[in-house]
Amino acid sequence: MGKVLKKWWPLFVLPTVLSFTFGFIIPFFQGAYLSFCKFKTINKATFVGFSNYAAAFQDPEFAHAFWLTAAFAFLSTVLINVIALAIALALTRKGLKGTNAFRTVFFMPNLIGGIVLGYIWQILINAVLSSVGAQLLSLNTTAGFWGMIVLTLWQQVGYMMIIYIAGLQSIPSDYLEAAKVDGANAWQTLWKVKIPNLMSTITICLFLSLTNGFKLFDQNLALTGGDPDHMSEMLALNIYNTFYSRVGAKWMGIGQAKAVIFCILVVCISLVQLKITRSKEVQQ
Amino acid sequence: MGKEKATNRVLSIFFTILSLAWIYPMFMILVNSFKTESSINTTSVFELLGASNFNGLANYVNALTRQGFAAAFMNSLIITVTSVALILVCCSMCAWYVVRVNNRFCKAVYFLFVFSMVVPFQMLMFTLSGLADRMGLNTPLNICFIYLGFGAGLAVFMFAGFVKTIPTEIEEAAMIDGCSPLQVFFHVVLPIMKPTYISVGILETMWVWNDYLLPYLVLDSTKYKTIPILIQYFRGGFGHVELGPMMACIMMVIVPIVVVYLVCQRYIISGVVSGAVKG
Amino acid sequence: MAEIILKNIKKVYPAEKERKHPFGKKADHEPKKSNLQVTDEGVVAVQDFNLTVHDQEFVVLVGPSGCGKSTTLRMIAGLEDISSGDLYIDGKRVNDVAPKDRDIAMVFQSYALYPNMTVYENMAFTLELKKVPKDEIDRKVRDAAEILGITQYLDRKPKALSGGQRQRVAIGRAIVRDPKVFLMDEPLSNLDAKLRNQMRAELIKLRHKVHGTFVYVTHDQTEAMTLGDRIVIMRDGYVQQIGTPQEVFNHPANLFVAGFIGVPQMNFFDARLVHVGNEFHVETPTFSVSLAPETCMKLSEAGVDFGSGQVVCGARPEQIELARPNESGAVRGKIVVSELMGSTVHVHADVDGAEFVLVIPTVDFSRNGGEDFLDGGDIWFKFEPNAVHLFDKATERNLI
Repeated sequence: MGKVLKKWWPLFVLPTVLSFTFGFIIPFFQGAYLSFCKFKTINKATFVGFSNYAAAFQDPEFAHAFWLTAAFAFLSTVLINVIALAIALALTRKGLKGTNAFRTVFFMPNLIGGIVLGYIWQILINAVLSSVGAQLLSLNTTAGFWGMIVLTLWQQVGYMMIIYIAGLQSIPSDYLEAAKVDGANAWQTLWKVKIPNLMSTITICLFLSLTNGFKLFDQNLALTGGDPDHMSEMLALNIYNTFYSRVGAKWMGIGQAKAVIFCILVVCISLVQLKITRSKEVQQ
Repeated sequence: MGKEKATNRVLSIFFTILSLAWIYPMFMILVNSFKTESSINTTSVFELLGASNFNGLANYVNALTRQGFAAAFMNSLIITVTSVALILVCCSMCAWYVVRVNNRFCKAVYFLFVFSMVVPFQMLMFTLSGLADRMGLNTPLNICFIYLGFGAGLAVFMFAGFVKTIPTEIEEAAMIDGCSPLQVFFHVVLPIMKPTYISVGILETMWVWNDYLLPYLVLDSTKYKTIPILIQYFRGGFGHVELGPMMACIMMVIVPIVVVYLVCQRYIISGVVSGAVKG
Repeated sequence: MAEIILKNIKKVYPAEKERKHPFGKKADHEPKKSNLQVTDEGVVAVQDFNLTVHDQEFVVLVGPSGCGKSTTLRMIAGLEDISSGDLYIDGKRVNDVAPKDRDIAMVFQSYALYPNMTVYENMAFTLELKKVPKDEIDRKVRDAAEILGITQYLDRKPKALSGGQRQRVAIGRAIVRDPKVFLMDEPLSNLDAKLRNQMRAELIKLRHKVHGTFVYVTHDQTEAMTLGDRIVIMRDGYVQQIGTPQEVFNHPANLFVAGFIGVPQMNFFDARLVHVGNEFHVETPTFSVSLAPETCMKLSEAGVDFGSGQVVCGARPEQIELARPNESGAVRGKIVVSELMGSTVHVHADVDGAEFVLVIPTVDFSRNGGEDFLDGGDIWFKFEPNAVHLFDKATERNLI
């Protein structure tokens, strides 16, 4: 097939590759270059070496955003996966009625965009806060952080649950029956049979929620907008604000440098995931 | 066995309550979208509808007529439909070519596609929006070109994963039967890949429809708004935020999504699963 | 008229390119790099392939995994490039002709039916592409379905068919084209044993109904023997022998062919060829076998210098007969295991560390009392003198 197909490239690959070049490749490399420059617009850039990176690392807001993001990503990953797996285990039980309806409901928030989600929860959380007499989101750092956790849970638990259910259903029933015959109780079956067979799914879900946590932007913007005073601002939003909310030409370059650091961070996480998934595949 | 049944009953009740709690935020918005402006404030959002605060469809009318909801909805629709259609057609063809030809160029392109899935948008948001401006890609139709490039990673990855499972013998049979590569693709490969089209289509639709930052930065936002941009504008706008129309907008955004979801639930869920497991 | 001529056909896969054979043909057809010749250009999958397939002849390419038989077929089909050599179909050189223009039809091991089309559409597809009128398509498809007995399945999708039915559809798809050449790549391999036998018989019937030239690839020597007018036996990219089933069975060109054709496999044993006057016999430390006069004549005519006389002897299991104990020329073996196959018994006998398989008709078996052939017992047998094959130990060529 390949031999005949080869000369058909203008039709088959050109449109995609062309738009990919303009939509990704050129901006990507331009961005990487600009992180070493001082600029206001792309055309007027002067090379300044690593000074943007130095400035980025010295920016206390960036450091705060980094630790906040790390804490958020870690916490949300753990909570999402524990809850999602628990629900998935319960919903795959035999004889439980209404599982389909529950799945439908839990998954639904996932389809709603981050901006809309953020507003829904802003209204709801503010209402709760004011009814208990606490300060509203725009002034309340703790509530902002936990609000984002709750929002993320609401959005992603259903998603991960669906993946876990698919993983659980793909465990051959022979294994479960064999465990039963061997006299394992439910708890033992869970830890000795289900979880080990679910490891690849767990890896996928862990990394999905981890990268989602690091990349979180829309929800952050809509729920708290970084208030109060950048205290609830996560990495993606921090980069965005560095670009578009700060006054002064130097911030553009610093923002781009932050973006490169952010990019490297996310790519590294993905590489780790890839490595873990690959080594798992070899074992199986 | 009796214990098993009892556990199931308890779980049923627990999940019923949890489900209701899960829907509550949406229910709350629905209720408030029918309230008069003066009866929506941070303390009264939990109140149900009554004679005193019922505003009929006024908020919806307001949202549709004054807030530019209809235009934003149309923009979102145009962008989503065109982009997803482009992505499906171009990326499936590209994926098939890349897998079947599989020379050095194809391998390099494929690697870049996979790489692009990982890179966060912030990395290129500034350069991309500048480039898009200069190339005149800042209208709802032209932005689809960017979506094609930006969505290509996931789409090509998923299509390529499926193409690898298609026996080449079928394509060879088609070639012997007299097909040109284009005919092989449209008569044979495309019908076989139907499930993947649905999966990719759903994932890309969810992404494009809900995407905020890319259209916000790329589109000429004085002229064109999409739904997420519009909703963000409500808050960022000057002066008083009209909560009623905003909730009506949110409702009008959510309802189509929920309806579509309930109708094609099976496809959406399997699409999401295959997307996650491959990604 | 459709004559296929392959002249010095050679196929080289570039060295650095890890060629993976498409789809589920597994290692089955993957050229095994270890056995294939590797040159500067790459791995040589097929070389020195010369064959003329006559009009309406049924030629079977047979050989073990990775011998290049599928590659050869795919070169005839145009699915693989021909590295060097010439391929003529019907007198026209077709090396650079696209598959669809070669007027061929191919049946694949995995059937390769279009899953989205019904049986009818599968068969009609090629005709539609050729813009054949609708009513003619209909007639042709129904005729083919009639021949294959799949008329009642025309509206079904391939998924709803059994393996045998799918195979019929795949063949039907080939028939409707009315091609000059039918190419079949292990069409029966995916069927279970019973169905395979049945389809094999049907293929024989079929070829008398449709007039075309057949090139058929299989790894199964039984299929090759029963279907082929001529058989091409291949190994490691080289043709080992071309001949009718009778020829390759009775006069295998070399040790490999001798071992490949025939079930159970031919028995081999190392021996020394001894020449006494006009007579030849072969000797092993434990026994010796006199050769038949014709064989001796051929050997002396050949006038070859046998050097040390080291040869490999071959004797087909069916051509070893039972003997009375201590009868002259009889060999004593120890029964390792005997398998009752129904009409015959396969007896595995150990003679001084070499294992011999004997196929003994059940009637003979019981005539000798049966109990004599218990595992561990002794068995006496002798070789039919004119059925002993001699192979040069070094070149593995047949000496006769």
